Amino acid sequence: MALTRRQFLTLTGGATAAPIIFLACGVPAEELLVEAPLEMPEDLVSGLDNWYATLCRQCGTSEGVVVRVMEGRAKKVEGNLDYPINMGKHSARCEGGLQDLYHPDRIKGPLLRSGERGTGQYEEVSWTDALGRLNLQLSQLQSSRNQNSMVLVTNPIGGHLGMIAETFASKFGGRYMPYEPVERTNLKAAIKQVFGQDRIPDFEIENANYVLSFGADFLNTWVSPTRYARGYGEFRQGDRERGTLVHVDSRFSMTGANADSWIHVKPGMEGILALSIAHVIIKDGLADPAAAQALTGGSNLEEFAPESVAAKTGVSAETIEQVAHDFASHKPAIALGGGSAGAHTNGLFNLTAIYSLNYLVGSVGQPGGVVFNPAPPLSEIANAPSSSSYQDWADLVNDMRSGDVGLMMVRGADPMHGLPGTLGFRDASYDVPVIVSFSNIMDDTTAMADIVLPEHNSFEDWGTDTPDAGPGYEIVGFQQPVVRPFFEGRGEHLGTRGFADILLAAAQGLSLDLGLAGETYKDVLQGSAEKLFALNRGSVRAGDFKSFWNGMLQRGGWWDVNAKASGGVPAPQRLPEAEEPRFDPATPGRFNFHLSPFSSTGIGEGQGAHIPWLQATPDPITSATWLTWVEINIQIAEDLDLREGDVVRVTSPRGSIEALAYPHPGIPPGVVAIPMGQGHVAGGRYAEGRGANVFSILSDLTDESTGALAWSATRVGIEKLDKWIRLPKFENSVSDPPEDEEGLVIEITSDDS
Amino acid sequence: MAESWGMVIDLDKCTGCQACVVACQSENNIPINDEGLFNQRRAIEWIRIERYWEGEFPDVKARFIPILCQHCADAPCEPVCPVFATYHNNEGLNVQVYNRCIGTRFCANGCPYHVRFFNFWEPEWPDSLKNQLNPDVTVRSRGIMEKCTFCVQRIRRTGRKAAQAGIDKSDAELERGLNPACVNACPTQTLEFGDMIDVLTAVKEGTRLPDEPKSKAGAKVKKELEEDGGRGYRLREQLGTNPSVVYLRKVDEHRKEVITHG
Repeated sequence: MALTRRQFLTLTGGATAAPIIFLACGVPAEELLVEAPLEMPEDLVSGLDNWYATLCRQCGTSEGVVVRVMEGRAKKVEGNLDYPINMGKHSARCEGGLQDLYHPDRIKGPLLRSGERGTGQYEEVSWTDALGRLNLQLSQLQSSRNQNSMVLVTNPIGGHLGMIAETFASKFGGRYMPYEPVERTNLKAAIKQVFGQDRIPDFEIENANYVLSFGADFLNTWVSPTRYARGYGEFRQGDRERGTLVHVDSRFSMTGANADSWIHVKPGMEGILALSIAHVIIKDGLADPAAAQALTGGSNLEEFAPESVAAKTGVSAETIEQVAHDFASHKPAIALGGGSAGAHTNGLFNLTAIYSLNYLVGSVGQPGGVVFNPAPPLSEIANAPSSSSYQDWADLVNDMRSGDVGLMMVRGADPMHGLPGTLGFRDASYDVPVIVSFSNIMDDTTAMADIVLPEHNSFEDWGTDTPDAGPGYEIVGFQQPVVRPFFEGRGEHLGTRGFADILLAAAQGLSLDLGLAGETYKDVLQGSAEKLFALNRGSVRAGDFKSFWNGMLQRGGWWDVNAKASGGVPAPQRLPEAEEPRFDPATPGRFNFHLSPFSSTGIGEGQGAHIPWLQATPDPITSATWLTWVEINIQIAEDLDLREGDVVRVTSPRGSIEALAYPHPGIPPGVVAIPMGQGHVAGGRYAEGRGANVFSILSDLTDESTGALAWSATRVGIEKLDKWIRLPKFENSVSDPPEDEEGLVIEITSDDS
Repeated sequence: MAESWGMVIDLDKCTGCQACVVACQSENNIPINDEGLFNQRRAIEWIRIERYWEGEFPDVKARFIPILCQHCADAPCEPVCPVFATYHNNEGLNVQVYNRCIGTRFCANGCPYHVRFFNFWEPEWPDSLKNQLNPDVTVRSRGIMEKCTFCVQRIRRTGRKAAQAGIDKSDAELERGLNPACVNACPTQTLEFGDMIDVLTAVKEGTRLPDEPKSKAGAKVKKELEEDGGRGYRLREQLGTNPSVVYLRKVDEHRKEVITHG
């Protein structure tokens, strides 16, 4: 029977209508909703999804995540409940991995520079061509016995990837320089000096009663914020008595906002303040006597009595006494420091003094205190290496200028953006004949590259991580591809490759034996996994390797909660000589403010600047987004006749930038603060030409003992320009709700707590 | 008996880190809040962190409070909608039916929490970013009101899984799937979600709270409402909206008086 379209519709329409009419007599109303002519959002029937465990590589923490995949597309990131670092939680930055994966300006395939360097003119080439060019460059250096002029720059990566990068560079005979904009050189050196540890310890905030932090914005951006925040939740309202958080900082940070007391200290005086606290603890007999003896050699640090240092530190003697007493009498107590406290010319001293406080209250190696991390269970991999210090970069720039760098390869790092402008890295890069980038976003450094070999997004690639800081026991996180490479098979020259596989291919082309078991990155990882399997302990155990491997990938890695650091509590070392910070020479009336740059909640130090979600993530304190603002004390702003959005020129002895004024009720009058991360010259549609780059005006002062950049030691002047731009912020996006009779709008704190 | 979903928000834990905000944007296909939208005051955040200043330098404090749709039992937004685009379902959710909405914005005027957002523009994503969009959540077009749904798509999905497995959807095993995206993300565990029908009904009717609340979140609320000096309260409760979100006050060691903002 031939049916016309009209007949067909009539028949099918009648057929569906009939059951409804009959069933309506006795069917609950809820059932009928499903048959309603319009789908309620709550009644949507969805397809099947899969959740795969992997690692997030958006920031240095590398949290364990599970990714929701539907029809071959990654849809959502959530924390991996099993993963010991973040235990099911995740930060705002983890979600950014999705927009990184599907970024509209992602580099789709290998590129070869076709115009002048830095003009952004590239032509697409095939992988064979591009890899051939890389190998040609490398082999030319080899044949001219000039291997040392190859420099490989990566972000500090732990696990196998870091190991392969380092091995490649050393076997080739080149230099390996890990790079991060906010270097941890001083932090690592202080941990080594105070505790004799190569790894950052775990701070058991969840079991502590008192946390005294110096400069480290640990709830927001410092080291492992999700882990610390999880501990902080327990610390505040767990099963035990509510803990007390005291934050010492020259800036009003998010951690400062959450502290019970925020103590604003003069910039760079954190270490002296710590010694004064130590003095009070020892003087009043609250210290562990053996530790006090070892730290001070019998002196009680009389010269740091609160009255003597009050003026210098800007903290009153009563406050110092109070904090010292509370710290010593609310055990377990943790003292931690980092961020701006370690970013002065006396940064190492500051951090050493701060971490030494832990010995006085017996928190070292104790639950609720500072717990050490063991070495990774696999001998071949290490924790993320310390980044090269500013001094190393200054040396490199000299080498670049003198023509001693023939080939620079950059992965996961954007030194053109993050190194202080005064170093002249960008100018010097014109003296490097060939720059190769592995980035899949046209960031500032990649825009200067001659050959671009775009690597996979982390959701498309294999990997491992040995977190630093770890959870206090052995752990190897495993990263697996959760989606197929996005550009695979989409065009002749399109497609990305894993960074490790590119290096392995290059090594093969050069007949360089890296001493690795396996042809591909995955083989290498499986080889190591077999060793973990052979240990026959820890979170994943199985009868055969295949089940072990699958089980491990399902859980996002392998860890053994019983494999803790051995060696007990190290003996305290003598406190270092007190050292005061140095700043640029005073220029009368010109550089009246201390500049405190800080990592942004969303875009970090610029790594997330190309991701629209992270650009639109409001700063916790100012709720500002998308642009660069300068936080100025509200009183000072009034004196300078500055309103929010007034464009000001911030000038240091090294340069100037323009930023929008934000009159800030919390920042000390002598300090101005500017978020890091903006001011890219490239970086795709969401980053390019946006805001200002605070790194470009930093002073090049360093801590001479480590060579670390004192990025918090710059002094600046503020000048109002005749321009106003609305600060894009979320605050006031919703109008004030109407008040009731009592004038109450919203109450947050309690009267009877 | 059907559920009544509710949330408890412990302000003493909230650090203002914005993890919930971005998790929500990712789960719920919220249009990219570009610079222009912020400047027009038209950025959309179903859950947002409000920050309040207290005191003056140097005794200055910043307080954070996450605000999302309170899913009021007596929601002022519901009766004003001329087309029944917003209604209360039998699970205590305040639901927005996008294809009924004609954009009168009466509901937004009625909402004392300012959690309803209007799409002034057609949401736009570059083609490649559309790969990330959640297929379970409708993309709202221009002229439509939208707001927090307590991730109803997750509740539905978990309900189907529970039915397949023959267990209750409030079962602890399914907690991660049931929780809204913000709750799973929240690093400090400020946000907790669960079926609070017993507790919320008792609060609404002024009767005794149940001895054993059905969910962990409910138990927490019970503890903080019953205890002397308990920290539980609901936002602008005096308006009679009967919110399903219970806040626990922040503890302030130093200033033990009610802090108000206006």
